Amino acid sequence: MIEGARPTPCDEYSDNLAELALGILTGRERAATLAHVDSCPRCADELEQLSHAADAVASVAPEIEPPMGFEVRLFSQMGVAETPERSRRRLTPPGSVARSPRWVLATAAAVIALALGLSIGWSTGGHNGGKAADGPVGVEVATANLTANGSTVGSVNTYGGSKPWMIVTLADSGTQGKVTCEVVTGDGVTHKVGSFTAKDGYGAWGAPLRVAPQDVRKAEVVSSNGKVIAIAALHDVS
Amino acid sequence: MIDSGSSDEALLSGMAMGDQEAAVVFVRRYQRRIFGLAYSMTNDASVSEEVAQEALIRVWRHAPVFDHRRGSVTSWVLTITRNLTIDALRMRRAVPTDPDDFAASAMLSLEHNPEDAIGRGDVSDLMRAALADLAPEQRRAVVLAAVYGRTALEISDEESIPLGTAKTRIRTGLIRLRAAVERVRQTEGER
Repeated sequence: MIEGARPTPCDEYSDNLAELALGILTGRERAATLAHVDSCPRCADELEQLSHAADAVASVAPEIEPPMGFEVRLFSQMGVAETPERSRRRLTPPGSVARSPRWVLATAAAVIALALGLSIGWSTGGHNGGKAADGPVGVEVATANLTANGSTVGSVNTYGGSKPWMIVTLADSGTQGKVTCEVVTGDGVTHKVGSFTAKDGYGAWGAPLRVAPQDVRKAEVVSSNGKVIAIAALHDVS
Repeated sequence: MIDSGSSDEALLSGMAMGDQEAAVVFVRRYQRRIFGLAYSMTNDASVSEEVAQEALIRVWRHAPVFDHRRGSVTSWVLTITRNLTIDALRMRRAVPTDPDDFAASAMLSLEHNPEDAIGRGDVSDLMRAALADLAPEQRRAVVLAAVYGRTALEISDEESIPLGTAKTRIRTGLIRLRAAVERVRQTEGER
């Protein structure tokens, strides 16, 4: 507001528009703001734009394949004639995103870099497991599969830069309950990164990494009783 | 003629007329988004399936009353899902996914860089990037409000911050997200 300018009714209500757009404004504030919007085209326009943004927030959630049999159960309830479920090239279990993990993780790291306020460019592709990647320009991203008994049960992604970060995803791992993620650096020292909860074998989690990502040789997911559930080799020792 | 290339609006119109083929196409188009939203909020596959089934049944039943002037089909469907998920969490007194985890899973699903997303008119990807670009405290406040339906007062209590601070975080965060959505809308308008 310009110094000396007289406050307008909009000044009084504009602060409430975001909450009104989000549907969380209540009581008298809501009623008064709605009454103002009804008589103020400028605030009505502002409210419409904020409402588009508010509606779009839920759309950021990842697409996840429902469990097998979902369609059969649903169509039965809807009274829709049973239709064979589409052929699935690969069953993507709950808790995992239905997209290319390597690309997803590479871009996730880049987005986290944005979240951390780093000024970076964008790469145009993913990278190979266990190897330093193209990643965002000027920073190192590494991705590796988490394996257990020879099977892939998830993935680990580390992001370098000034604020190192690590993302762990478990999919169909058979793991249940609290697990700990540890990394082993080149000097053989094990560092605990943090804990998260796996449910029905699935879980996704991220945390700051307090060691240099390029020093990380492997990552381990450890159960509450100390058993190593899965291992990812992040940098070739050779 | 309904097929997998039919618009959302055409599918809803077909569903409103009782067209089962339209319902099948619609379900297959939206089930992953609906289940994904519920699962991201609950981290519970069982609850998420219940919510997703109920959401799609409601869309099927209420297709005749959908009003495109009030927003897109996607917004409508995801709002139904979000509200059902909040109800399910309350009924079970379940602990929802932490807002930071919700945001992290959203970031994990980013598929295109922001400039590509604008070119493709992909609001979801652009919102993911915009959400990631928010200050962490603003992102958390916006997710609590927009996804979990928390009021400013509830956020103030849960986050142990003054009410004014909660309101400022919500407002500032949403205004920054609005800029991202407007970029997509302007690009679409120029086409």
